[in-house]
Amino acid sequence: MRPALVFSLLLSLLLTLDGVLFADGLVRRKGEDATLARLEAATSGLGLTDPAVATEARYTRHPAVSDAMAPFMDHPGAIEHFPTGTFWLPPPR
Amino acid sequence: MAPRNLEKQLNILDYALSSLWRRRMKSLSVLLVFAAVIFLLASFQMVTQALTDKASQVLAYTPEITLQKMSAGRQEAIPLAYRDRLAGIFGIRRVVPRIWGYYFDEVRLANYTVMGMDVREMPEGDRLDTALAKGTIPGPEEQGRVVVGQSIVKALNLDERNTFSLFRPDLSLKTFTVSGAFSRDTDIMTNDLIVMSLADARDLYEIPAGLVTDLCVYVANPKEIGTIARKISAILPGVRVLTRPQIQKTYQVVFGWRSGFGSICLLAALASFVILAWDKASGLSPEERREISILKVLGWETSDILAVRFWESVIVSGLACIVGMTAAYIHVVYFAAFLFRPVLMGWSVLRPDLHLVPRMAVGNILLILAFTVVPYLAATVIPAWRSATVPADSALGG
Repeated sequence: MRPALVFSLLLSLLLTLDGVLFADGLVRRKGEDATLARLEAATSGLGLTDPAVATEARYTRHPAVSDAMAPFMDHPGAIEHFPTGTFWLPPPR
Repeated sequence: MAPRNLEKQLNILDYALSSLWRRRMKSLSVLLVFAAVIFLLASFQMVTQALTDKASQVLAYTPEITLQKMSAGRQEAIPLAYRDRLAGIFGIRRVVPRIWGYYFDEVRLANYTVMGMDVREMPEGDRLDTALAKGTIPGPEEQGRVVVGQSIVKALNLDERNTFSLFRPDLSLKTFTVSGAFSRDTDIMTNDLIVMSLADARDLYEIPAGLVTDLCVYVANPKEIGTIARKISAILPGVRVLTRPQIQKTYQVVFGWRSGFGSICLLAALASFVILAWDKASGLSPEERREISILKVLGWETSDILAVRFWESVIVSGLACIVGMTAAYIHVVYFAAFLFRPVLMGWSVLRPDLHLVPRMAVGNILLILAFTVVPYLAATVIPAWRSATVPADSALGG
């Protein structure tokens, strides 16, 4: 079998896998619609302002309602030391 | 003519593949390193994009205006009487007071978010039951009854019992009965929440009557949010006015490339690319010179050798791209981005179930290609040209 054919078979295998993942993604996206309706009810019913992803510090739990000074507020000379501070940018003002 | 040209390119492709197979250990290591770099970049991009998308969808329902009182640069309790001072602003539909804050559980070392309000006053408050997995939202007259997020259920073992106690500031205990639990579907917003009535929250935090944490302002016409916010700022100068568009804007940038972790991913990608480019550009090995000389003696032209090198680069970078991006998608969707969780959630004890489904837009794929494959192809042009112009007799003489 010529190498180009072997390569195209390998490529087709990878692209088929991607196609299956894409189809599964579409199904998951449909399932997300019901989830989104529940999230909407919770967000507007409680007036939530932030996702509960990082609960370690108040400025990463609620970046939208804290200001850029919040990480340095605990005492004079305090530095920002929580790990999620490396992932989350301070909110723009 | 066209089939002949196609046949020629197929033969060149065959040769390029055989050449890569001959140096399979080197080719495989380049492919794996390249795929790993693409995996890292694509995973970061998919996680941030999925989180940003989710936040922008959900935060379209956040309060239109949130008011917080500031003193000495810190947030403090806001007087309920401020509500009356807003009565004169035309266009305000309702003002809902809330008491909310954090509760640090010293036994479990976890931070809970406590929210106290009259949910019947909130828009869609009567629909809140649909966000629950079990139970009901307690009415304002039902004292001591709470609705909790899934991580609270787990942390406080509320599957087996339905009462728990929290300490007031004077260390006396306040007991709560669980009236319902939020669905796992809403985990990303309600994971660490304990929702109770305003009176219970006031009692738990010992906040004096007449003070609350913030005021949620709802307006009749969303187009007037900016105007009403300016009017509120003029009437209440010591108050921070946060509007819905500001909150949404925060989440458009909060998971950004400029963040430390983003920079590390980008630097890792750039460093790997520089190493690859250096390897490619740092001259030809004697074996490569020999091979090219033999090909030229056999009648190959410079353009044919350039085509071989081009195909080699396309195969390596294309395969690395497909493998890296597929692995990144599987990592984010099926393994909930477990490699990034330590950085994304840090020392958080309560961690939500993240159901991330990244949107595979053409723009995102092009961005990854622009950062990885395009520079690789560009970097291989000069070495390819150098290898293609080796004189036929240069490596054969001895």
